[in-house]
Amino acid sequence: MIYLDNAATTKPSKVAIEKALVFNEEKFFNPSGLYQGGLFCANEIKKAKESILRNLGCVNNEVIFTSCGTESDNTAIFSVVKRGVFVTCKGEHSAVHKSFLELKNRGLKIEFIDLNEDGSVNVDKLLNFCFNNEVNFVSIMHVNNETGAINDINSIAKQIKSINSKIIFHSDGVQAYGKIPYKISNDIDLYSISAHKINGLKGVGALIKKKGLHLSPYIIGGGQENGLRSGTENVFGIKVFEYASAEHYNNLLENFNYVNSLKNEFINGLNKTNFAIISGENSSPYILTISAKGLRGEVVMHSLEEKGIIVGNGSACSSKNRFSRVIEACGYNENILDGVIRISFSAENTLDEIKNSVSIINETVENLKGILNK
Amino acid sequence: MKQAIIIRYCEIHLKGKNRGFFEKLLKDNIKKSLRGIKCTFSVMHSRYLIEDFNETDLEIIESKLKKIAGIHTYSIARVVGSNLEEITNSSLELFKYKKGTFKVETNRADKKFTPNSVETSRYLGGKILEKYSENLKVSVTNPNTLLYVDIREDGKTFVYTDVVHCMSGMPVGSAGNGLLLISGGIDSPVAGYMMCKRGMKLNALHFHSFPYTGQAAKEKVIELSKKVGEYNGGIKLYVVSFTEIQQKIHQFCPDEFMITIMRRFMMRIAERLAVMLKDQTIITGESLGQVASQTIESITSSNSVVKMPILRPLIAFDKNEIIDISRKIDTYETSILPYEDCCTVFLPKFPAIRPNLQKVIDAESKLNVEELIDNVFKNIEKIQL
Repeated sequence: MIYLDNAATTKPSKVAIEKALVFNEEKFFNPSGLYQGGLFCANEIKKAKESILRNLGCVNNEVIFTSCGTESDNTAIFSVVKRGVFVTCKGEHSAVHKSFLELKNRGLKIEFIDLNEDGSVNVDKLLNFCFNNEVNFVSIMHVNNETGAINDINSIAKQIKSINSKIIFHSDGVQAYGKIPYKISNDIDLYSISAHKINGLKGVGALIKKKGLHLSPYIIGGGQENGLRSGTENVFGIKVFEYASAEHYNNLLENFNYVNSLKNEFINGLNKTNFAIISGENSSPYILTISAKGLRGEVVMHSLEEKGIIVGNGSACSSKNRFSRVIEACGYNENILDGVIRISFSAENTLDEIKNSVSIINETVENLKGILNK
Repeated sequence: MKQAIIIRYCEIHLKGKNRGFFEKLLKDNIKKSLRGIKCTFSVMHSRYLIEDFNETDLEIIESKLKKIAGIHTYSIARVVGSNLEEITNSSLELFKYKKGTFKVETNRADKKFTPNSVETSRYLGGKILEKYSENLKVSVTNPNTLLYVDIREDGKTFVYTDVVHCMSGMPVGSAGNGLLLISGGIDSPVAGYMMCKRGMKLNALHFHSFPYTGQAAKEKVIELSKKVGEYNGGIKLYVVSFTEIQQKIHQFCPDEFMITIMRRFMMRIAERLAVMLKDQTIITGESLGQVASQTIESITSSNSVVKMPILRPLIAFDKNEIIDISRKIDTYETSILPYEDCCTVFLPKFPAIRPNLQKVIDAESKLNVEELIDNVFKNIEKIQL
């Protein structure tokens, strides 16, 4: 099997799991326990937070562990600003997009800003909107999970804060953390990350919050995470997250360049008559979105699966609708929208795997075209 | 507190000399369905009785009874000794949290029991009023609660208030065998349920077209078949690959006849499988005029390739009526899952709504029908659900 759906999830790191096993087998204590074992676990969680903050070059931030990226996004959207105008873009993951629709249901004013063709937010339109309206909250994703487009969130946040310093800025960094070189600037109030996108485990995420920013908790109970997210901490999952993060950050640039070469190899190998390339120049090397023009992405996906190649069909979370809401917002026509496939790499993919898959995908699509287009 | 479930059937009452056959079948179906649950089962004057079960199993027993064709209603009764004191006490308990109007109805199979039925009802009514006069009044014509007191010959009395309606119909196995064509949609599981209700024992057939439809679409059909199977005492699902046929029709026949010809292939395959399985009919979820392939012309065209009768229990149902039933039988939520089913990938923009039979036959003549069908039968997947 050649696994090319790493933006959906990644294979958990064996090294990280083995290193963290002690928290399953010996140090299984509740971090709220006042005995030594409990204090030890609490301290290990603290270390994990410090390590994550170091990875993002943070000085003025704190970490709230959550159960996933979606919970982090929800917490950011529902727990900080309670009224006013909320702004996001049309490219967001459902965790943000649907939360905004829920804000609307609750009677708040929301705005979805248009995208550029590559899936990045149209910054001029965003700034214009913020300039002409009393905006309270802005959420712009860091790396678009469907096209890989990178938004320069530090710069966007800075410009927004210069329009109105009171605007709270959140970014969904799930596809960026551990993959893209990035330091959180002082203008970023909230930043969501997730463990399983970087070889951690499913069920662990985090919200990076600027110190001093008031957040009224979303999950209330035993007062864990400084009262901001109750519920006994998943110590094992958190430690795996810490160790998997460290593996990524130790080789961040090296992996970035390597994966970029894989992506270029893939793009160069593709038969351009049959495919359109949706991911733009300024996109994450980890994500390549293409369209098998005139075919159905799902059909191509199944055909590739039969040949041992696993790719993604748009966003794994939103594959229930025929067209991707996000790629549609990039302005593509039906012919292209139908055939969207997301190839997402990891540093574990080899050059041979990429060469093989690109030749198989070319051949598969050529065959399907032969059958479907009389 | 000892409880018993009294089970009643309906249409079997209308049967004459072969009534015993139906009664035994229903009895066997109930017993089979309750297999693995500790209880005793007995027959009581055209009714069935389930006793000696654990109270914790009551919910699961009820859910199973609701899915057995032929059962009209059931009641959960308190079982007490046939003496006025026990009957009164348990009646009073039943009315502890009741408001509005009530009536008591007594039936004495044990004619030696005194006082007689009318007097017993009157006595119990008096006792209930005495205790709960603030909340309850008698209404003989239109009571909110009807208390049934059934005094049996064996010294036992059943006391109950609620009658729960089940699916009615005839016991599965009493009306022959059929092969249900099941897609991932809303209609076909409902059609299957309707036939189970009338006592037909079903097998199911699904046309899968990987890679044009994915594993998720197949899983959905498995889930739907399982749900239909709950009304059928289990079900065998046969999955055949339809890919080659779809591709060939797409390549060699005019787009407008794509669906018509597909339906004809489906019917031929279904008939051949039905014969192998000794099924006597093919069942589809078609409803007249719902889509292009369900006009009378299209139906004529697909009927004309098989000799076996095709039953279409939903033919005169509106979509909303079908949806209501699918909600009732709990298939709706699964049916509306968005995985594409067999038909959608090759769907032409303008299908022939009233296909001319001769033109269809001409279009189809470009295909080697027998060979294509033989190929399908080389690789049939059977799933016991």
